[in-house]
Amino acid sequence: METFSSERLMIISEHLYRLLLLAYPAEFRRAYCREMIQTFRDCCREALQQRGQWGVLRLWGLVLYDLVTTAFTEHVRTCIAMLKRLFLNTTDTLLTIEGSTALVTQFHLNVAQRSDVGRQRQVNEDRMLSMIPEDPQVMAKKGALFVVADGLGGHSAGDVASEMAVNTVKDAYYADENDEVSASLLQAMKRANSAIYQANQSKNPPPEKNQMMGTTCVAAVLIADTVYVANVGDSRAYIVRGDQVIQLSQDHSMVAEQIRAGLLTPDQARGHPQRNLIYRCFGEKADVEVDLFSEAVQEGDLLVLCTDGLSNLVSDEELQEIVQRFGTQESVYRLVERANEHGGPDNITAIVVRVSLEESKELQTV
Amino acid sequence: MKETERSPEAMLPLTPAVFHILLALADSERHGYGIMQEIAARTNGAMRIGPGTLYGSIKRMLADGLIEASDERPDPELDDERRRYYRLTNFGQRVVRAEAQRLEQVVRIAHTKRVLPGSEAIGGA
Repeated sequence: METFSSERLMIISEHLYRLLLLAYPAEFRRAYCREMIQTFRDCCREALQQRGQWGVLRLWGLVLYDLVTTAFTEHVRTCIAMLKRLFLNTTDTLLTIEGSTALVTQFHLNVAQRSDVGRQRQVNEDRMLSMIPEDPQVMAKKGALFVVADGLGGHSAGDVASEMAVNTVKDAYYADENDEVSASLLQAMKRANSAIYQANQSKNPPPEKNQMMGTTCVAAVLIADTVYVANVGDSRAYIVRGDQVIQLSQDHSMVAEQIRAGLLTPDQARGHPQRNLIYRCFGEKADVEVDLFSEAVQEGDLLVLCTDGLSNLVSDEELQEIVQRFGTQESVYRLVERANEHGGPDNITAIVVRVSLEESKELQTV
Repeated sequence: MKETERSPEAMLPLTPAVFHILLALADSERHGYGIMQEIAARTNGAMRIGPGTLYGSIKRMLADGLIEASDERPDPELDDERRRYYRLTNFGQRVVRAEAQRLEQVVRIAHTKRVLPGSEAIGGA
């Protein structure tokens, strides 16, 4: 009889708690409702075991007080966040970079980045890097660099490869005296590939092809009024301009080939079982073919770099809606959360850069 | 890499809930209930936080980059339900250390003012 009524008490308590959770803002509920119920159930079980039904009543005392105060706090915070979005532009990392060419251009780059292990993987093998040189001369000559790399899951030490990729691209790019951006970026990408390839080969005995470490890599340089993109694999670079989403990089994946051949639509590709298969990456061969792209940047453009953990789960429309609506910091947070809401099967990484080009009238006269 | 140049001191002082959650995660990754158990055990039940405080804090700590969510997996000691585990980021480790050092300073002041019994013994928990 005792165990029967205890069980009933647990069930009733959980149902009641589920109902009471409606007091929280919807967004908060979506993110944590399941975990909160789980935790409440655990607490209930513990209270019951330790102090019987009185224990559960005491727990309710704590939980009700906690619920009233925190639900109120969460609503207040949601309101404040909404007001901030309405009246303020988020200023996460606001950088002013002055060009030194005849036509002096002032950039404002607002940058945010986020990487998350996702919901199903044990390890985050994605790496990202944003480099905005503080020396104005370096900035004028080499520009700002953003890199995203996705260490390959089937390979061992994918995170080592992606870490090497982002760091080598950065070091090699800024060390190169050549001010021809495309050539310099291409060299840096090739340097990263050979560093990883040599690390593979230096193992004794050299690993089988499917045991080698490897990684994708997409790098973007913003300089003057142009963005240069270099790509190997299926991590992506986009420009979001108004309601347009322009994919700058081309995936080196099997499904992308099929889309180009007209055999698949982009939406079919997103759910395709072989969407993770790529035919080009860093680390497998001594030399790698790198694709290069460039695009003139416009006022208000948003540059987005991401891994397939994001692009496979979040549609172009969702991407465009999020980055246009929110500041960069909030955008990267929401993009990652959106991919997690869709299941988060892979590591998720995003860099978002808002570019404002303002011709400075004062400086122009110099 | 502007994103990683944040100073841990800028996050201080922490709320008691955030500080206790960081301490609970300092030696091991834990799920929500595991965090609650650890806090209750370490404080002999003096500090108890409800699920709303716990997840409200977790939400903000994730946004501030103090902690990160790892994989979901069952806790072998509880049941076969999958649970989300949380762990400290490098930045979170620096912040919890900075807060502990700040509090140590405060305790030192309390000692010099002879507020605590046995004021010579500096450094107790």
